[in-house]
Amino acid sequence: MAITEEPLALASGGASNVERPLGALTRPKGGNGWRDWLSTVDHKKIGIMYGVAAMFFFVVGGVEALLIRVQLAAPEGQVLSAEVYNQVFTMHGVTMVFLFIMPLAAAFANYLIPLQIGARDVAFPRLNALSFWVWISGAVFLNSSWIVGGGGADCGWFCYSPNSGLAFSPSHGVDFYALGLQIAGIASLVSAINLIVTVLNMRAPGMSLFRMPVLTWMLLVTQFLLLFAIPVITVALFLLMFDRLFDAQFFNPETGGDPLLWQHLFWIFGHPEVYIIILPAFGVISEIIPTFSRKPLFGYSFMVFSGIAIGFMGWGVWAHHMFVSGIGPFSVAAFSLSTMFIAVPTGVKILNWLATMWGGKLRFTTAMLFSVGTVAMFTIGGLSGVTHSLAPADTQQTDTYYIVAHFHYVIFGGGVLGLMGGLYFWWPKVFGHMLNETLGKVHFWVMLIGFNLTFGPMHILGLQGMSRRIDTYSPGFGFEFWNMVATIGSFTIALSVLVFFFNVWKSRRDAPNLPAPGPDPWDARSLEWMIPSPTPEHNFDTVPTVEGLDEWWHRKYGYDEDKRVVRIATIEEAAQDGSAQGVHLPAPSFWPLVLALGLPIIGYGLIFNLWLCVVGGALAGLAVYSWALEPVDDPDADHGHDDHHDDSDGDGDGAEGGE
Amino acid sequence: MPNTLTETTTVSDMFKIRGRLPGVGLLLLFGLLAAGCASDAELDTLDPQSEVAETIWNLAFPVFILAGVVLVLICGAVLYLALKHGVRTYEGDDEFPEQISHNNSLEIAWTIVPALIMAAIGVFTIITHIDINGTDDNSITIDVAGESVEWEPTIVVVGQQWWWEYRYYLDGSQIETADLGDPRDLPPADIVTSGQFAFPTGTEVELIITSRDVIHSHKIPALNGTRDAVPGRYTPWKIEANGPGVYFGQCSEFCGLSHSRMRMQAVAMTDDDFQAWIDMQMSDATFDESLQGYVDAYRETGVGSVDDVENDALRGLDVFTTQCASCHLVGGLNDLVNGETYDGADTLAGSAPNLTHLANNTTFAGGLFNLYNNEDGSLNRDDLAAWIRDPNAVKANRANDLPDGVLPRGMPAHNLSERQINDVIAFLETLGPRPTDERIAATEVE
Repeated sequence: MAITEEPLALASGGASNVERPLGALTRPKGGNGWRDWLSTVDHKKIGIMYGVAAMFFFVVGGVEALLIRVQLAAPEGQVLSAEVYNQVFTMHGVTMVFLFIMPLAAAFANYLIPLQIGARDVAFPRLNALSFWVWISGAVFLNSSWIVGGGGADCGWFCYSPNSGLAFSPSHGVDFYALGLQIAGIASLVSAINLIVTVLNMRAPGMSLFRMPVLTWMLLVTQFLLLFAIPVITVALFLLMFDRLFDAQFFNPETGGDPLLWQHLFWIFGHPEVYIIILPAFGVISEIIPTFSRKPLFGYSFMVFSGIAIGFMGWGVWAHHMFVSGIGPFSVAAFSLSTMFIAVPTGVKILNWLATMWGGKLRFTTAMLFSVGTVAMFTIGGLSGVTHSLAPADTQQTDTYYIVAHFHYVIFGGGVLGLMGGLYFWWPKVFGHMLNETLGKVHFWVMLIGFNLTFGPMHILGLQGMSRRIDTYSPGFGFEFWNMVATIGSFTIALSVLVFFFNVWKSRRDAPNLPAPGPDPWDARSLEWMIPSPTPEHNFDTVPTVEGLDEWWHRKYGYDEDKRVVRIATIEEAAQDGSAQGVHLPAPSFWPLVLALGLPIIGYGLIFNLWLCVVGGALAGLAVYSWALEPVDDPDADHGHDDHHDDSDGDGDGAEGGE
Repeated sequence: MPNTLTETTTVSDMFKIRGRLPGVGLLLLFGLLAAGCASDAELDTLDPQSEVAETIWNLAFPVFILAGVVLVLICGAVLYLALKHGVRTYEGDDEFPEQISHNNSLEIAWTIVPALIMAAIGVFTIITHIDINGTDDNSITIDVAGESVEWEPTIVVVGQQWWWEYRYYLDGSQIETADLGDPRDLPPADIVTSGQFAFPTGTEVELIITSRDVIHSHKIPALNGTRDAVPGRYTPWKIEANGPGVYFGQCSEFCGLSHSRMRMQAVAMTDDDFQAWIDMQMSDATFDESLQGYVDAYRETGVGSVDDVENDALRGLDVFTTQCASCHLVGGLNDLVNGETYDGADTLAGSAPNLTHLANNTTFAGGLFNLYNNEDGSLNRDDLAAWIRDPNAVKANRANDLPDGVLPRGMPAHNLSERQINDVIAFLETLGPRPTDERIAATEVE
């Protein structure tokens, strides 16, 4: 790849030699206001948009969760009809997985990967914008089924056939599910390729793979999982779409189709998906725990390799979701064993985090509280996971609330708590002011208590035999008390989320009266902390040359003759001041947005009127051609162009300056 | 450390908040254990009542304990570290702890040791797995229509939205030698029940599970774990019970609108009771004299006459033959209505419960309601009337006002008058014999 990472790409002032193919295809200029956000290709702005949109859908999915809990608070709940309840729990799962936690992880990946590896942007900035716009258009499309599709999908997020077929789910909800997730899948796939190329090719000089921060490592593994998992779910969704729209009969047993085929395809995607969700959070807390232990991460290479091992083993356990589906006993035995052994690398991670804290100086900031909370809560989820890796025991646990408890401890206790910690940790880097620590701690404790009140009792409910996905239950089965506790817990979580939003608002309001956080408020370890907060548009004034793991920490600290840590430079001395001018950055473009807008129109067309597909296809096609034809740069921009032309010709996207 | 006093206050401060973290974990653990001991829930998975369920529990229980111990250790370590190493701030503190970056032998140890533990659990898992998937080569002698038959206890379980059907082939040949074929059109069985099924105690009963529409899952926790009912396939499973009794179940795979209301009960009987149950189920419905006159008239002319307007059950029989009998079968009646020879207990539509001995059941509507009131043993007319009046209102379904091409799922409303509903109930009540009071008490849903 043609990556230009000269120390400084200052304006050369040379005349433009780029011709404009068409006036309309001039690259837009950056600037302020909404036009800037719509056309940006800056990985930081895209990361922020991912984060904001993810939090919006967190609220949407959270409201759906509260509706579920209100319905189940007491026996014979009447708040929702069975029909609406099925839609709500389906959309809760789909929203939380595809529209909240995955994009929130994408926010971290977009924002932090280039900073952690010392790059100015991702490898393909326009593709990065495309990923975001395609994802959000898929997300909006999916949720538009509430309004135009006769309700949300009602087949569960796992959408088992034949219950997902037209005969059993006659509304358009499942069509929106199949198409919306295909659109969102394009975003994940494009983004995965983009970030893999970024990590493999755009690291700062000296940053070998094994000098990368663990967060970048875990995000890299995640992108590989996405790269291979998304095509599988896309195939499954495509077949489902053809079944429903064109009577293709892939999954219809009446005509020789096979409902178990869907299950295999779904879980071949679905299990790696669990690690897609959890590994970014593992990465986040692997950055936070060392920082607030004042120690390096214990066993960096074990942490990296256990993450890679999880990435590989995650492909060999999918059928543990199908232990009771009637697959052969040999399959069940094999997947039971493989599932047990995937506990080993996750166990290594937990012990290594504890060893990192061992003998350290633990400063319990909000970020650290969330990280330690993640370790403890994920441990519960991991251990309950071990209890149903035993296939015989799973026959008593599967499809009960025990499973609901388990995966919420993994996804919420592991994934969400970890990423929340990440928000507090990197907030000053992104927005230039700290989040209020007192409110943050309130947020943490209220959320932790609410979380355990909500999902802890579900272990008991599940072992008492309460089935999943039931819209009501009768009195007398012993479900009353713990369901009420869980409902109280869910509102406690909602309260904690409100505290978080209040904190965001208050911290922003108070920021002008507080000292600026400076580049490195936490005395942290990786490269993003050597540049000002908030990150300047060009990231690094000078791309740093990396000499080891925890590069930034080692620029601040050294060892004396007794192997004791001594400060060798203050943060101010070691950090960059962000003063570089005229650094060549990729030019904005509207075409990723236009291309993304074409896809949901094709989706509506497939559902309602095929002619709409022509409109959507034409729009997307126009965007593709315009994208290809628009100049690599804005000829009127005030910076030079010659710095990259030598090695980026014919490969516009490949170069940092190629955009 | 330079300032122990400050250090101490910090630690106690932290105990106040951070102590909760592992505390919650411990609470959870005790909660789990308490659930195991103190629950009287009918669907409890921790209260095995059969050999196979006990086998599963014997595997799971030590792993629960082990998981609890590991949880306490990890959370204990978090608590210990927080108390021992917590500091309030790094401000003005230039002392760094020892910078230990790794320890290979330690890390290899805590990779290998858990792997060995998992391997040990794996061995027991595989042993249990083989055990619970094996079937006994057992048979019992039963009396079928006066002939002694060696029956390998086998029940074909058919799920459909939103009730379970149980089919008994007492000569066994159809199951052993012939393909059962399409679950929607199974060969006629000797006995067909819905929502409740009986089996003899102390012997292993093989279940052959399938579905007529979507995937369901057959779960009676006290007797065994769950097994999916997959359309187009037959999945083998088994149950057994240590003693006579009624064991509750619930569909455990999401199957659409009334997934939560798709329930069932397994009734384990002594050999004598089971034999009596077979004799009863093998017989046609018996009508009392007044009804029999109607049936006879029907048999002769093809038209029944309701000349005794004072007899509710008779009027109900008329409603039944005109409104209900196109889907529901009553042995001894439907052959007349449909002009077909009655050929064993079967359902005509392939998807509506056989009602020949409805009043011998203790539940109805897919195990959702009690058929008899628990207090006085009288017929549960209120729920029965509500159910017949508008099934969708008490058990969500998709049977009325359907768009084109959508299959009806569940029982449609027939816009019967209140009097007709009353009459049908009076007729259904005759489809006995009435179960014993003990059985009514034991099958109390609530």
